[in-house]
Amino acid sequence: MVTNTHPTLPEFEYIQPKTLAEASEFLAMHATEARPFLGGTDIFVRMRDGFLTPKYLVDVKNLDGTNELRFDPQSGLTVGAAVCMNRVVASPDVQRIYPVLAEACRSVASYQLRTRATVVGNICNASPAGDTIGACLVLDGVLNIYGKGGLRQEALSTFFLGPGKTTLKPGEIVTSINFPLPPQGCAGVYLKLGRNRLSDLSIVGVTVLAAPDSSLPSGYRIRIVLASVAPVPLVAKHAEEYLAARPVSTESLLEAVRLASEACSPIDDIRGSARYRKMMVKNLTAKALNAAWKKLHL
Amino acid sequence: MEKSKIPQNIGPVGESKPRIDAREKVTGAALYADDIQFGHRLLHARIKRSPFPHALIKKVDVSKALALPGVKAVVTGADFPGFIGLYLKDRHIFCRDRVRYVGDPVAGVAADSPEIAEQAIRLIEVEYEPLEAVFDPEFGASPQAPLLHPDLDKYTVASFILPRSGSNVSNHFKLRKGDVTAAWGKCKAVIERKYRIPHIQHVAIEPHVAIAKVDQTGEITLWDSSQSPFAQRDLIAETLGVSQSKMRVIAPVVGGGFGGKAGVSMESLAVAIATKAKGYPVKLLLTREEEFYTAFVRQGLVAYFKMGCDGNGKLLAMENTYYWDGGAYTEYGVNITRAAGYSCTGPYEVPNVHADSYCVYTNHPVGGPMRGFGMPEMHAGLEQCIDELAREIGMDAVEFRRRNCLRAGSSLPTGGTIHPIGLLECLEKSAEAVEWGKKAPPSAPNKRRGKGLALMWKAPAMPGNAGSSAWIELSEDGMLTLGVGAQDIGQGAFTVIAQMAAAAFGVPYESVRLAMPVDTRYSPYEWQTVASRITWSTGNAIVNAAKDARKQVLELVAMAWKEEIQDLDIVNGKVISYKSEREIPVKDIAIKGLPKEGGKGWMGGPIIGRGNFMPSDVTGLDAETGQGEHAVVHYTTGAQAIELEVDLDTGRVEILKGVAAFDVGKAINPDLVRAQMEGGLVQGISSALFEQLKLKNGAVQNPSFVDYRIATATDIPKVFQSILVEVPQDDGPWGARGIGEHSMVATIPAIANAIYDAIGVRFEGPPFTAEKIYLAMLDAGIVKG
Amino acid sequence: MSFHEIQLTVNGNLEHVTVPSNMTLMHMLREVMALTGTKNGCSAGECGACTVLLNGEPVNSCMVLAAECDGAVVITVEGLAGDPLQDALIHTGGVQCGFCTPGVLISARALLNRNPNPNDEEIKEALVGNLCRCTGYVRIIDAVKEAARVKTQ
Repeated sequence: MVTNTHPTLPEFEYIQPKTLAEASEFLAMHATEARPFLGGTDIFVRMRDGFLTPKYLVDVKNLDGTNELRFDPQSGLTVGAAVCMNRVVASPDVQRIYPVLAEACRSVASYQLRTRATVVGNICNASPAGDTIGACLVLDGVLNIYGKGGLRQEALSTFFLGPGKTTLKPGEIVTSINFPLPPQGCAGVYLKLGRNRLSDLSIVGVTVLAAPDSSLPSGYRIRIVLASVAPVPLVAKHAEEYLAARPVSTESLLEAVRLASEACSPIDDIRGSARYRKMMVKNLTAKALNAAWKKLHL
Repeated sequence: MEKSKIPQNIGPVGESKPRIDAREKVTGAALYADDIQFGHRLLHARIKRSPFPHALIKKVDVSKALALPGVKAVVTGADFPGFIGLYLKDRHIFCRDRVRYVGDPVAGVAADSPEIAEQAIRLIEVEYEPLEAVFDPEFGASPQAPLLHPDLDKYTVASFILPRSGSNVSNHFKLRKGDVTAAWGKCKAVIERKYRIPHIQHVAIEPHVAIAKVDQTGEITLWDSSQSPFAQRDLIAETLGVSQSKMRVIAPVVGGGFGGKAGVSMESLAVAIATKAKGYPVKLLLTREEEFYTAFVRQGLVAYFKMGCDGNGKLLAMENTYYWDGGAYTEYGVNITRAAGYSCTGPYEVPNVHADSYCVYTNHPVGGPMRGFGMPEMHAGLEQCIDELAREIGMDAVEFRRRNCLRAGSSLPTGGTIHPIGLLECLEKSAEAVEWGKKAPPSAPNKRRGKGLALMWKAPAMPGNAGSSAWIELSEDGMLTLGVGAQDIGQGAFTVIAQMAAAAFGVPYESVRLAMPVDTRYSPYEWQTVASRITWSTGNAIVNAAKDARKQVLELVAMAWKEEIQDLDIVNGKVISYKSEREIPVKDIAIKGLPKEGGKGWMGGPIIGRGNFMPSDVTGLDAETGQGEHAVVHYTTGAQAIELEVDLDTGRVEILKGVAAFDVGKAINPDLVRAQMEGGLVQGISSALFEQLKLKNGAVQNPSFVDYRIATATDIPKVFQSILVEVPQDDGPWGARGIGEHSMVATIPAIANAIYDAIGVRFEGPPFTAEKIYLAMLDAGIVKG
Repeated sequence: MSFHEIQLTVNGNLEHVTVPSNMTLMHMLREVMALTGTKNGCSAGECGACTVLLNGEPVNSCMVLAAECDGAVVITVEGLAGDPLQDALIHTGGVQCGFCTPGVLISARALLNRNPNPNDEEIKEALVGNLCRCTGYVRIIDAVKEAARVKTQ
């Protein structure tokens, strides 16, 4: 294997539509040759490496309100597709009400990359390593998707089909993600293990959101999402259900950790072995659960 | 050098002056090679590279590439029959009949744009016949291995490099001293260990770049990011069969070197392509990805150590065998092998030594010089063995080192004795700084804390006659312009050269500037900016040039004032007489001289001082025993100590404190010396914790910053401590010796020893990644799965 | 490949340029405007040597298309003349080879703009995207603290 990385970006046509309708139509018409992009932080790298060779790059920033970051005490948070991660991190509303989302964004690469990188872009790349996806899942994110038939909504939980694969159809553009108000008194944690202390891709990432919920036998609803250990960002359903079904104790937390680790199917890659990842899922999930539990009772 | 002639009141030497090149660097004005604007005639070059680690080239078809509009030249190995190489001429500019690593250049293109050049490269068709490859240096050195350079015995080679004909061993350095076999019986404890040190990259933030232009008369100009403009002029000209003076190398500001930009590597490709596109400047800029697998890499090393000591902890014998994974071409790497051979014992007095250092051809990326020149790799294992041996006899590791480390007059493995050094002081001070022997509690229950320490030594590894030269020109405004062929690669060479010139001549630091960029047409000769030799060697040359200029000024004034030279001095840019108390600014006589008495003409004239320096007493070593009178010019020695924590949940290492203590002879600029110690320490930490070129069937699997991680601002120690020790070097300017490379030599073993102290586990080699440590803790039962 | 006419302000100067689709902001600054203070270290958004301020915020200019910059305001290291960070870097010795320095200056300037009194940890985090191979970062961090002090005095 010889790495044939292009010295510059290979040739393509930059398309800057004026409206969502125009963008969607263009993308639908050139389904195989056109790709939408937001910050470009992922697609440009893959184009230089020769993994992607789009003829058209369609800039879907700045279209019809995609630049909006809005919090409404009734309906929750809307993060427009073009809103960069630094804006999310800096938002007082996000810091106050959705801190785990801010925490996850802050763990991505570097500040200057996050000026361009977006939460919606991170989601649409559908990388199992996507740092912000866990937070978006535990916060019950719902995507607003513009397409031929107008707007549709899709829960993030059903959006991912495989590495790099989503339910998006040609011509569909995610315009924003919506988060309902998080449960009262919830506490979230994102733990990420990289090779460097900061800035690396995750070897393993664990997002936990815990909240009191009197409708459940345990009295708590605890969400767990794992990054980089399955083909898609993995919701540890069995662990979640286990924790919902009985009183939370040291033992039940340990069993949940075991279930989470059992659910994942990591692979060996250049960043870490499957064996190590599996063990790190255990240790980091335990740590994240304990940290969330502690926060919950502060 | 006659030290008495240097003014003893030495400011600005010894003062932490701001860097002479800092202002241009913080304003963005500093011009690096890739910044030079060549206009629209600039052609862009790209290289067709081998996808095979080892193969015969059966056919190269460039016709489609040539036919592509915008392509100006396509070259292949057929165009350039000459051999090139610093110590061993074992490579062609482009491969001719055989490729030897994944990335080996097979053809080159120059085109109107990088895009066209890239497209053309993809249109070149090459037919290969893959051959069995060598990926392990021990196997490579065995008779079973396929020969990678069947013509090894026909290559031109430096006298002190000893290739083994009919093998893949391109240099075998042997050292035999005393009687090792007899000594083992006298030992109270003997340990045997094996270490494997991976290939790493220099990762200067500026990638390699070269722009070459050949005019219609055949004059060649090369602009490049270079540590070695003169060596490049010499070697490239010779290979192309042109005279050295027809080749001009201009080397602007260098964005980091660390050895990677020494000697000749990709620069010859740009020049070769330019010879077929006469009149056009041709730029070759390596992508970061290419940088990782086609620029010089730090050689891999497989090292075997056997060492023993008596009951008092006195080292009695060492038997060390080093197999260097030299890669496809070892034209430069052969001398790393030699350096590791004559320094094989580390900084210890060992009466009985048996060492073999083999440079082995493999089908891996090309090994070359990197900061430390073999010493970080060798010390990585050696300094762990010292700890283990001390432990074996129940002695504290610092006490063990105290008893064995070199001091003035200690005998050297090559014979002879060592000059005065402050190694013991470095050891004591670094141990004190890290509070050796005191165990601090970990910061959290899931952490283990440890301390480690390691010593080091390193000599400039270079031919015995590596020379430096310098000139000094005085201007009307009293400024001194210095010409040197040495390069500032970030280490601060220009600043200390300016400080030394100012002190030696007698002007303030602010009155000195350098004639830059280095240009082989106008700059005086310098062998290479390598080996941590510039402060010492170029320093001596600039002092000699300053003395020469000073002598001219003083002779002129003495004549004019009818005084004796010994009564005159130059202070702060003025000639003063201690006798008559007269004074005259140097600027008043620098160009126009002085009138003779009674209007009878003039005397003096524009003043230019010249100076050179070349070591005169380095002797050869016996080919069978490695013994000789004076193997190297001198050794710089030092110690590093580390305090760290291991996270039991993840295996992650956090460096809490890093201590460095080095004997630099004399710190010409103490802050710059400390900056080298800090930067080297972090580069060492990076190599210990993160770095490895992951090779699979010869191909680098992680050729990008995404997966070749280096230390970031968040990975550095919480606390740094840099300690200067100054035991003067007798032939160094003001006693100075080098420090640039030494600062990362002891870091890997210091960290390894600290990890052992924390968790009781050792590893075959770095990087000590979280995963490696965690899995080892699991095996050791420290953590449960 | 199509070309795009754009108009933008670079270091206070209004510029009209025509750029091809695949030209990055970094490439435009360096090759079209000869503002070579912005460095090309990896072309992949990893090393930070090409960091510039785009509409007041730092970006890897190798990860931005020039064509996207119509109407933008760009500040490069050449536009930081007189910034106290420059003196601080010289004073603390936070410059060695200098290749990362322009990007470091931009990242540090952006940090001080949003946080005039950062602590060590905040400085390190803000510089995590600026790789430096020479200095070990120590003196760069010192320089940011020094510049913050100058500014607040």
